[in-house]
Amino acid sequence: MAQIEQSDKGGKKKKGAQKKMSIHVDFTPMVDMNMLLITFFMLCTTMIKSQTLKIALPTNEKVEDTQMSQAKESEAITLILATERDAEGNIRHGEDGRPLNIVYYYEGKPDITDENKDGKLDNNKLQRETFLGNDGATQRGIRRILHDRNKQVLEKIDVLKQEWRDRKFSPNKDLNDSIYQAKAKEIRNDSLLTRPVVIIKATPEASWESLIGALDEMQINQISRYQIDNINAVDSAMLLDYIATNGKN
Amino acid sequence: MGKVKIKRKSTLIDMTAMSDVTVLLLTFFMLTSTFLQKEPVTVMTPSSVSEEKVPTSNLASILVSPEGKVFISVAGEADLINNDPSWGTEEMRKSIIREAVSEYNRLHPSKKVELTEADILTFSKINMFGVPFSYLHEFLSKSQLEQDQIIGDMSNPRVGIPIDDNKDMTKPNEFQIWMRAIRNSGNENIANAMKKGEGIAVKADRNTPYEIVHHVLDNLQSLKMNRFALMTALKTEQD
Repeated sequence: MAQIEQSDKGGKKKKGAQKKMSIHVDFTPMVDMNMLLITFFMLCTTMIKSQTLKIALPTNEKVEDTQMSQAKESEAITLILATERDAEGNIRHGEDGRPLNIVYYYEGKPDITDENKDGKLDNNKLQRETFLGNDGATQRGIRRILHDRNKQVLEKIDVLKQEWRDRKFSPNKDLNDSIYQAKAKEIRNDSLLTRPVVIIKATPEASWESLIGALDEMQINQISRYQIDNINAVDSAMLLDYIATNGKN
Repeated sequence: MGKVKIKRKSTLIDMTAMSDVTVLLLTFFMLTSTFLQKEPVTVMTPSSVSEEKVPTSNLASILVSPEGKVFISVAGEADLINNDPSWGTEEMRKSIIREAVSEYNRLHPSKKVELTEADILTFSKINMFGVPFSYLHEFLSKSQLEQDQIIGDMSNPRVGIPIDDNKDMTKPNEFQIWMRAIRNSGNENIANAMKKGEGIAVKADRNTPYEIVHHVLDNLQSLKMNRFALMTALKTEQD
């Protein structure tokens, strides 16, 4: 391929004709150089662009208590994120090698009455869960809890998703997508369905991963109403009581 | 009896086809690649299912190291509008540093920061910055190699933009001065993007305690920059 052959067409050698020469170009150094360049580009590039998760925080300005939107008690669910760390502040890992990000949660209003004054709360509603991915089609961990709370919305969205897959809204892909998105948003914000209001709180030592994980669960479970709040004295009292009664694990 | 003649074969391998393949691969990598930006610390962002991509232009990204040090990087318009350089990244960085330093000098008349034109030029070439104002001149007059060494040293107390708890907007802290300067740099595109929540991205390591990131978010909230994006990686199947 890389040689140019000059063949004389069968005849006798003419006098003064040039000597038959095979020009052979060796491409090996060229390949070497290309490989080096490829290696350079492979090492210096990012193929995957970072994803982003958009959030909007409320303003810092003081809002009157009466102006605050109150969530219905039956709809509220509070998540308190915590991460287990050792004495040096390194995150401890569970037996399966996953970081020990723990979600404590309670439904409705907190209750810290202690009538018999024994230092223990009478009815601590706090429960403990972890972040776990799906096992096949079944939800596990905190995802199952949130999934069950938002069942009505998720069932409707599942129907919608099937229609979207079959391209029922429009044969055009982009149009199909945008109609699906609009309809899904409508369902997420449908006030006739029972939808939870999730309040996410994080302890100071909770890892950033766990907070993103919690925000992610909101996306996965199609929860439209959630907020990030600061942990308060009531929450820490419940948390301490839970750990005192049940131990850390 | 016929003798079996062993033909002497040449061991030359034709490399032309190989060369063709490598050139094709090279072209592919050159066309698809975006270069890694230099950052003082490598952070592993947490993963999420979100599929929105981070914008490449008109973005102020805030990097929070696991120790709580804060760095900012600014990118302007990727393609210049009407070839007007004032929309480009470097011109924007120049106007940002001028704005930020004059604001700092107004608030701290006793410890004024003087920058030379050369300092401002150096600053416009740096992707990610993060030193206190008082150290800015000394830092910018160093060579690039020294700058990289200094800014990569997380135990150095003079690395990272000072960010203390502050809700009083008449006396903003250094981080707040920078963020305001970015918004007021005269580049409307980035100001609009910041308003919409696309222009600010917060990048933090997955193991960073919430306390540290919350502190940065709190500062942004005080600046009324309530909408922003959090950088995450793509979630894998087993998460």
